[in-house]
Amino acid sequence: MQQVHAAAGASRRRLLTGTAGLVAAPFVIRSARAAEAVSIGVVMPLSGANAQFGINARNGVQFVADQINAAGGIKALGGAKIELVVADATSSPTNAASVAQRLITQNRVLAMIGAFASSLTIAISEITERRNLPLLTMSFSDEITGRGFKNIFQVVAKASVLGKAQLDLTMQLAQAAGQKLERIAIMYEDTAYGTSQSGGLRAAAKAAGVEVVMDEAYPLGITDVTPLINKLRGANAQAVFPVSYLNDSLQIIRAMRAQQIDIPTIGGAAGYVIPDFARGLGPAAEGVLSISPANYDLAPELTEPFRQRFGYFMVHEALENGVCLSVVAEALEKTGKADREALRDALRGHRFETGLAKAMTGGAVQFDATGLNTLSEPVMVQWRGDQLVTVAPGHLARAQAVWKR
Amino acid sequence: MLSLAQAVLDGVMIGGVYAVISMGLTLVFGVMGIVNFAQAQFLMLGMFVAWFAWRFLGIDPLLGSFLAFGAIFALGWALQATLFRRVLAAPPVAQIFLTVGLIIVLENSALLLFGSEFRSVATPYQTASLRLGELFVNVPYLAAFLLSVVCGGLLWWFLDRSWFGRAMRATAQDPMAARLMGIDAARMHRLAFGLGVGLSAFGGAAILPYLTVYPTVGSQFSVLMFTVVVLGGLGSIAGAVVGGVAVGVIQSVSTLVFPIQLQNLVLFLLFIAVLALRPEGLMGGSR
Amino acid sequence: MSRALVALALLAAALLPLALESEGYAIHVLTLALLFAALGQAWNIVGGLANQMSLGHAAFFGIGAYAATILQIRFGLSPWLGLVVALALGGLAAALISLPTMRLRGHYFALATLACGEVMRVIANTAAPLTGGPAGISVPFGAEGVWMMRFEGGRPIYWLMLGALVVVTVVFEVIRRGALGYRLRAVRENIAAAEAIGVDTARVKLQAAVISGALTAALGVLYAQFNFFFDPDTVFGVASISVRIALMAIIGGIGTAAGPILGALIVIPLEEFANAALSDRAAGLSQLVYGAVLIAMVLVEPRGLMALRFSWTFRPRRASA
Repeated sequence: MQQVHAAAGASRRRLLTGTAGLVAAPFVIRSARAAEAVSIGVVMPLSGANAQFGINARNGVQFVADQINAAGGIKALGGAKIELVVADATSSPTNAASVAQRLITQNRVLAMIGAFASSLTIAISEITERRNLPLLTMSFSDEITGRGFKNIFQVVAKASVLGKAQLDLTMQLAQAAGQKLERIAIMYEDTAYGTSQSGGLRAAAKAAGVEVVMDEAYPLGITDVTPLINKLRGANAQAVFPVSYLNDSLQIIRAMRAQQIDIPTIGGAAGYVIPDFARGLGPAAEGVLSISPANYDLAPELTEPFRQRFGYFMVHEALENGVCLSVVAEALEKTGKADREALRDALRGHRFETGLAKAMTGGAVQFDATGLNTLSEPVMVQWRGDQLVTVAPGHLARAQAVWKR
Repeated sequence: MLSLAQAVLDGVMIGGVYAVISMGLTLVFGVMGIVNFAQAQFLMLGMFVAWFAWRFLGIDPLLGSFLAFGAIFALGWALQATLFRRVLAAPPVAQIFLTVGLIIVLENSALLLFGSEFRSVATPYQTASLRLGELFVNVPYLAAFLLSVVCGGLLWWFLDRSWFGRAMRATAQDPMAARLMGIDAARMHRLAFGLGVGLSAFGGAAILPYLTVYPTVGSQFSVLMFTVVVLGGLGSIAGAVVGGVAVGVIQSVSTLVFPIQLQNLVLFLLFIAVLALRPEGLMGGSR
Repeated sequence: MSRALVALALLAAALLPLALESEGYAIHVLTLALLFAALGQAWNIVGGLANQMSLGHAAFFGIGAYAATILQIRFGLSPWLGLVVALALGGLAAALISLPTMRLRGHYFALATLACGEVMRVIANTAAPLTGGPAGISVPFGAEGVWMMRFEGGRPIYWLMLGALVVVTVVFEVIRRGALGYRLRAVRENIAAAEAIGVDTARVKLQAAVISGALTAALGVLYAQFNFFFDPDTVFGVASISVRIALMAIIGGIGTAAGPILGALIVIPLEEFANAALSDRAAGLSQLVYGAVLIAMVLVEPRGLMALRFSWTFRPRRASA
């Protein structure tokens, strides 16, 4: 009996909605379309040498997407949910470009977030620019927003600015501790990231009248850093600025400690600001400084839920990629339609200050005409146990820097 | 002068490790005629075995290296029995591409099973060093070097003195004659492949104290291993020892003259020159 | 295959893009497959006919991509002229590389050419003032026009790649059927016997290497115009180019004109399919599946899938085979 009732109920309901549909057809159709999920492409290196960073980045985006969906989706689109289309860019720009093409054509994504490594991001941007699709990234390279593209948005400061801040903030810390830095050493891996950031560092040193007594590039995937450290020992520098991914960073610090070189070490983000650094080095990590485009301790209330969910602090690539999605969501609330060109126009000029965007330096995100976030300001962080503490610039510092000369 | 002495010392120590990790590559080629492009991925697996042994059993990686050898030996034995057996008579292109496929499979299996984290061990001697006058000796490097010497000695004993070793060398020299003497060639191949990849795994564990393990760490060593065996002569164990030390010293000393960025360029040019002028290796014919 | 069948297949390939979305993913993947088919075919001249297994073809590919792009950026040179420059430089590079590697065979040749490709990669990374270094290099963005090889949508570059594949395949077939082909086969089967009957083996190998290198460099120019951005690790990469090029021919069957085409039409879509279907699951799973399928293909038929076809057609199957 119950079955019959249910069937009758169902058909009656169908009849009712059918009639209502006829009457209110334009309205119903519009709201049904608007409540369709919004697809956002997430292209990251999920395999290969940068897999760890790609996975961190994906976690950051996932974290924000789940928060937005749990809070009722995009309200201006009738509560549309954010649907992430995650794809592996591998480590090849050729693959990254095909993946981007696929997400646009097959998955009809509205915007894309990616792809950690600058070379992958640039390859993707060549596709998104031709299809007028907004691409948001936290890749550092100056090239990203330096080519006059209209559909690219860089939420962090550029590599040259990071390199400059790496030196300038260090000078301030040394000065506060009563030391005037005169001789520094730079060592960097010969990747896009290493060369462009060390370029900023070198220029800043020249401007500040600091002598660069060692300036050495080394091949990616170096198996033995001893020659580097031997050179460093002979260089008589007062501080060393290594710019590298993780494997090299651990080798460099261990070899320095083994040769009893304990001059201040100021890393260039990437390998120096992820939990594996402190986990791998233990006490040898204590007090190591690094530049970073953002840090989780500037907004603990926003980043702590990430640590509870994933078991490690919200590393900067997770944070910044999360911010990318947060910014997209806010722009969608503003335009009220799921249209890529309207979205692009909404991204430019507006000041984004809801959600995770508040965790960025400056408390907000605002893109200029080239797509660069003008509010982002690099910070200096220092390892204290297994935590990273912001120590400079002064107005953002959470603790006093420890400067050992 | 001092920096030259330091560079030579560093080069010899690291070269000893290069020798051990490359011996397996040359052994497999010598016995079966297969160039295993995936050799360095077994080094990565060995590092993982040693890391897990350290993390969950509290075994120091220097001892864990024997465990890594055992585990990867078994894996190599199984792979020979299933995969490589089928391409022994195939053209070299098929052999090479089997090993290329294996690189992709091993790296991504490691990514799936162990994750992408960068894992390192913590040992008391990790950042220790000895001083010989003005010279520094890095203790983890020294430990890895001494362990490599022990391993090389054991291998020499095995190949030269044990029945298995002699049977394996006989198979390498003349498979038909060896078979007539009652040697099971297929078994010798399994033994050689297991031993070959096991040696690289052993070397990987020995260097774990100053390195970090993650799924793609092997690729950093591929080029080095090939340079070592080409310098020493493909198939020559003694050549691998000479080649390993030569590569270590060249790598280290070249940085006194050239930028470190060009470290690999120096090696590659040497590699091509040796192949062009003395394809049998610097040790030529002393197999 | 009969001529009619080839003509029909070509016509279908030329008309296919009209049925696809002009800027779509399908055209993108097919264009990539055509590029790699052409690369595999160029490799086939050395790898298939002379049986010299080069693992360094990225050297030529990268030289072509860089030379044309640098000339375009600095002097506004048309990529069409860049093709001519690339042909010349690729041939020259192949001749230079042949000097030290010519006498080597089998594994030794493979390793030596591999090292040559790596030398080029390190040089491109180091010579930053010329190449842009590790940061890579972008093809300038500008107005559309046939002269600068800039097209609206994905169809023209597809046809360009198809044309390139036809050209390279014709060159391959002409060599295979001509005198050079016979000499190359003589060298492959028995080098001593070939010399005894008066074949100048060094000259024959050099000719094959130069033609193959020149064509590969020209394809590098087309790649640059297709992908718009590249860096040294991409165009001089062992895994991304050298090994992949050879893979196309080996999976399909080396020494045959259809081999690299078949290989590319299987491998490139397979890789894309694995990525599309699996990369949002566990990280690494799609690559793992791709690698496992490669292994399976090598194990099923080490001589390539073309051999499989022949064994079906011409040989009675035996249960034990």
